[in-house]
Amino acid sequence: MKVLSNLQRYGLALISSGLALVLAWPIDAPSSCFLLAVTVSSLFGGLGPGLLSVALSALSFEYFFLWRTFPPTHETAGFLRFLVFVIATLLITALMEIKRRVEESRTRAQEALRLAQSDLAHVNRVTTMGELTASLAHEVNQPIAAAVTDANTCLRWLTRDQPDLEEAREAASRTVKDATRAAEIVSRIRLTFTKSTPQRELVDVNEIIREMIVLLRNEASRCSISVRTELVPHLPRVIGDRVQLQQVMMNLMINAIDAMKNVEGTRELVIKSQRAEDEQLVLAVSDTGVGLPPQQADQIFNAFFTTKRHGTGMGLRISRSIVESHGGRLWAAENSPRGASFYLTLPTKLEAHE
Amino acid sequence: MATEGNTKLVAIVDDDDLMRGALQGLLKTIGLSARTFASAEEFLDSGDQHQTGCLIADIRMPGISGLDLQAKLNAERCRIPTIFITAHGDEKMRMQALRAGAVEFLTKPFDDNALLGIVRAALES
Repeated sequence: MKVLSNLQRYGLALISSGLALVLAWPIDAPSSCFLLAVTVSSLFGGLGPGLLSVALSALSFEYFFLWRTFPPTHETAGFLRFLVFVIATLLITALMEIKRRVEESRTRAQEALRLAQSDLAHVNRVTTMGELTASLAHEVNQPIAAAVTDANTCLRWLTRDQPDLEEAREAASRTVKDATRAAEIVSRIRLTFTKSTPQRELVDVNEIIREMIVLLRNEASRCSISVRTELVPHLPRVIGDRVQLQQVMMNLMINAIDAMKNVEGTRELVIKSQRAEDEQLVLAVSDTGVGLPPQQADQIFNAFFTTKRHGTGMGLRISRSIVESHGGRLWAAENSPRGASFYLTLPTKLEAHE
Repeated sequence: MATEGNTKLVAIVDDDDLMRGALQGLLKTIGLSARTFASAEEFLDSGDQHQTGCLIADIRMPGISGLDLQAKLNAERCRIPTIFITAHGDEKMRMQALRAGAVEFLTKPFDDNALLGIVRAALES
């Protein structure tokens, strides 16, 4: 609801009471008209304007109408009628105030819940990234090592007896590329760590998948896992929080990598994106790992359920709540012939969803 | 430099495109042209392993790792002087590589003079 200024709120009470008086006079229906004015004032103005409207209505009612219909001989009846009128208007004001407070506390509770979820998601992100420190350091070290080599090469061409400027220039421009890559990776890591309130923006899921692969590429190759993508190009974008969606992809991909660490045979992580019915996108993360825990497949999304030695049991729980807050679904299935697949849907047209 | 050495190929196997380019560029400064391969599989499929006089390989790669590549080459009786370059090799990994016949085990970022010296020596051997 739009927030009105104090002046507007009390102005509303004055105007509505005034209008009620003007309207009530010709049609001789004071109670209904003043009740309406009080309702409007307390509904849109709050307690203060509501009470002001009650006072104005009671005065007008008493001064202009009460004794016109009730001559002084019926003093008791007139007084009762006035009393009923005042009680009715006060009750309406009180009801409106209660309604407002209930709504306010519900909004506050929702806000607190949203903040708690976002804090939890942040903790999960930091924990996950913490586990990846070695890999991320390697990911940054890789382009830096290339930069050192390219810079050395550049020096070699320049310090020859016959400097080769063309070769030196090439080596220097390779150095620039290397350093740019290192900076990109650092900024990606920083973005993933950043804690912010959930945003709603247009997000390209294929881009998110590619970004997470860059961060996890090393972790995968350390475990001799090949990463393959089947991404349908030009997918419609989804409305959502980029960092949170990255987090879901990261959780699913890390789970897949962990599931394959100790299996013999093919170790392949496959990530697919495609369109589905009802303007939805489906993303799938499949591995050839140990598969879902038997007899407990439905529990993997529960809080504190984990099969990992150092797992928190929160990754899939948080992932599911993120996907659901985006109006989508997240579920798991066995992969054939081996391993597990995680599927998630995301709507490309998001209705007002809280 | 022995003429025989020059006819032999230097092969670079690394999944990182920047590193491949950097190594190739560095070897060019001493007049060596190197072939690059993005994976161990690609190198094994190329058939170039029999003409290779020196192999520079990363340890960690998706699919076949550097150490597995070395084992496969040894199994094919194709003993190529191999230089491993890795970001953080532990002592165990280093010993395993050297025992299997690697000539050197360098940590990134590595000393360019050291690498070039070893490559020259490998080609002349």
